[in-house]
Amino acid sequence: MFCTIYSGGLDGIGAYLVQVEVDISTGLPGFGMVGSLSGEVREARERVQVALRNAGFDLPPMKITVNLAPAHIRKEGTAYDLPIAIGMLAAMGYFDKTALNNVLFAGELGLDGEIKPVRGIFPIVQEAGKSGMKCCIVSQQNAREGALAGDMDVRGAENINQVVDFLQESNEKRDWILPRVVETVGATREQLQEESLDFADVCGQEGAKRAAEIAAAGFHNLLMVGQPGAGKSMIAKRIPGIMPPLTRKESMEVSAVYSVAGLLKDSQPLVTKRPFQSPHHTVTMAALTGGSGVPRPGIMSLAHRGVLFLDELPEFSRATLDCMRQPLEDREVHLAKAYGNVTYPADFMLVCAMNPCVCGYYPDRNRCRCTEGSIRKYLGRVSGPVLDRIDLCVEILPVNITKLRQPKGESSAAIRERVMKARRRQEERFCGTACHFNGDMKTAEIERYCSLGPAEQKVMEKAYETMRFSARGYHRILRVARTIADLAGEEQIREEHLLEAVCYRAGDRIYWGGGDRI
Amino acid sequence: MSDKYDYWLHHLPGVGERTIRKLLAVFSKPEEIYERLISPGAGKAERQKEFEGILTGKQKEALAACTKSWSLEEEYEKLAEMGIQFLTFQDLMYPQRLKEIPDPPFGLYVRGNLPKENVLSVAVIGARECSEYGRFVGQELGKTLGEKGVQVISGMARGIDGISQAAALDAGGISFGVLGCGVDICYPSQNKRLYERLLTQGGILSPYIPGTMPKAPLFPPRNRIVSGLADALIVVEARQKSGTLITVDMALEQGREVYVVPGRLTDRLSDGCNRLIKQGAGILLSPEDFLTEMSDNFPDKFVLCSENSSGKTNYEPFSMSKEERIIYDSLDLTPKAVNQICIDSQTKLSYLQVQQILIRFCLIGAAKQPVPGFYAAVHPPQK
Repeated sequence: MFCTIYSGGLDGIGAYLVQVEVDISTGLPGFGMVGSLSGEVREARERVQVALRNAGFDLPPMKITVNLAPAHIRKEGTAYDLPIAIGMLAAMGYFDKTALNNVLFAGELGLDGEIKPVRGIFPIVQEAGKSGMKCCIVSQQNAREGALAGDMDVRGAENINQVVDFLQESNEKRDWILPRVVETVGATREQLQEESLDFADVCGQEGAKRAAEIAAAGFHNLLMVGQPGAGKSMIAKRIPGIMPPLTRKESMEVSAVYSVAGLLKDSQPLVTKRPFQSPHHTVTMAALTGGSGVPRPGIMSLAHRGVLFLDELPEFSRATLDCMRQPLEDREVHLAKAYGNVTYPADFMLVCAMNPCVCGYYPDRNRCRCTEGSIRKYLGRVSGPVLDRIDLCVEILPVNITKLRQPKGESSAAIRERVMKARRRQEERFCGTACHFNGDMKTAEIERYCSLGPAEQKVMEKAYETMRFSARGYHRILRVARTIADLAGEEQIREEHLLEAVCYRAGDRIYWGGGDRI
Repeated sequence: MSDKYDYWLHHLPGVGERTIRKLLAVFSKPEEIYERLISPGAGKAERQKEFEGILTGKQKEALAACTKSWSLEEEYEKLAEMGIQFLTFQDLMYPQRLKEIPDPPFGLYVRGNLPKENVLSVAVIGARECSEYGRFVGQELGKTLGEKGVQVISGMARGIDGISQAAALDAGGISFGVLGCGVDICYPSQNKRLYERLLTQGGILSPYIPGTMPKAPLFPPRNRIVSGLADALIVVEARQKSGTLITVDMALEQGREVYVVPGRLTDRLSDGCNRLIKQGAGILLSPEDFLTEMSDNFPDKFVLCSENSSGKTNYEPFSMSKEERIIYDSLDLTPKAVNQICIDSQTKLSYLQVQQILIRFCLIGAAKQPVPGFYAAVHPPQK
């Protein structure tokens, strides 16, 4: 009596099919499980035995062997409980094995036979669809998440008896037992919440708002330097709101990440809002990258397609910041763990905020008495390679009291409108290339798309002399100028675009340029 | 001329200026003290008596031990190898101005040159964490003094000290730095370039033996020498409680003239200066005005050596649009934020337009951005 059942395992934010093979044969009574199993998969043995007994199924005193194939990949998680139980029942002949054709099972069992949700259902169902499966049976709480994958026939069950009844019935009556779940995407409470964080609430701060707009338009990383209480966090939290809404494809990607992380909500399985992650500065490298014992998407991946906000940048440990270098470059996190390599997406926009010195009030010398040495030391805590990835640097100045009383500023919707226009220009420009946004441009693309006229060339030379920036700084200015021109709807980068771009890097030499001031 | 015995006496640990003075009152020469400490000749009781009231028995034992491990010749030669000149107040070379002050330091180490006696020397001092205003005034002062060949004395510290000294050197002048550590140590290290230039274009002086690391208690005696070497003292910027004011007290004790750069009531960095003015210090209206007063007070020391500059800073004229003119006129030496400039100039231009004009000014050198996001004029408004 042998039976094969399909289930799924997670690999990064993707999945692979697992064949659960159950064999019940004569021999010394016993229950053995093989197939490179981790601790929690091994525990399935006890759960399945008790759950089946409590659900009213008697286990025969025979030798039961379970194998999870492919046996060379290490299996994690509790999703194999349900397929193992179903496999045993099939092997015992509770229902026709043809009922199991092209059906995938994933779910955890309680001791009373209840089916509990597991993480990563979304990518598993997606993979099932790609591999030609017709139906997926998962926990009731996972059903809507699974239905996100599209055309797949997803059924949510509350307990194992329902599943057995379902499998025993002919096609027509089945739907009465476990109805097919269809996901409908509509406006939710969360989207409404998003709108409550509007740029209209930010008074004054024209410079910072403009920088945020440019950053959102060109997917540039942004650094805000300013006094405590000037509104750095306030602005950062509103940046996802001016980025274009997630496309269906992006939504699916983000949902997959959150599914694997086990963070999708039953009520709102599809992530439609751009993520905003703001880890505290004591965050560990493992939490940021996602590499603890069992790999799960870290904060960088949870910020995929959204904003990763690091407040108090110099307080982050250098090692923590440095582990962001490669993800910032590749837009992915590669984790090498004992049992294999995992890749999670991490295409986020980095937004950082910091004080200009320890006390926070430099350059107001009436309040700040930090020495130049201590200021330099404080700024020096920020790793250079991370700074290199930041295209825009803007100073947030304390808001004048008269500005606080002024009428509200521009709304997020109005800014988003301009951002989307600029994005469309970039889409056309980079169609068919590896770049997506101006922020991604490397030297070759910059040379191709950021050509300067003679007058602009002169401005650049002049700036190069006065500001003494590096070759990297030169490229950063061109990248940002490209986005500014896109926002203005112009194909050619003009002098005013360059001048504005220069403003966003003018602080470099003074903040991080070293000691040319006595 | 100082000799190896002087150097030996000065290096002794625990023997300060006061002890040296007492010892020299009893013994005529350091050589004699050395002999008495080291020679086993005379009876113990007798030797004990000689140092009575100056050194305790224990101190003396320690000094004798220390003396035995000190090789007179070798150590003295090392000084010469390092290019360090050692002077005591009995030396002819010892600066005359220092000899005039109460309790001149016993020893003085010099790298480079000594200040000339017959040339006016002025100490320019001020806050380490100075404002843009202080930076500008320090530079202008250093430049004018340097051009007129006036010797600029200062402490080579961060801020005003270093700024004015560097400006004097840039203008082809001479300057002297008095350190609170050994002359072979550059403190603060970021003034390394200034330190090296002072070696050729002036001198580095210190009352501490080479190798002494900078420590807080070493600085007030250093300040005494800064004021002592100068004929007049200029305070550019000082807070209410500041090391600069200690130097001023010493300068007054030494009978030096004190001039102060006035500041605004709202600038905490000018509080000390304004208070000094209230107490009757001289007010510095401009470097030229100061020099005129100096030439009256010290006619003999006034040598106009390098009259190569036109005197006044050249303002490069450049054409400006009407809006640019409004923005330019609202700039000040004190850095202002862009939104502040928008408010001050009462212009209808947008934030972005104002920012663009400002950055254009920066590129042609009409304005600068001393701190990111803050813009300041390069020159004070013209009269």
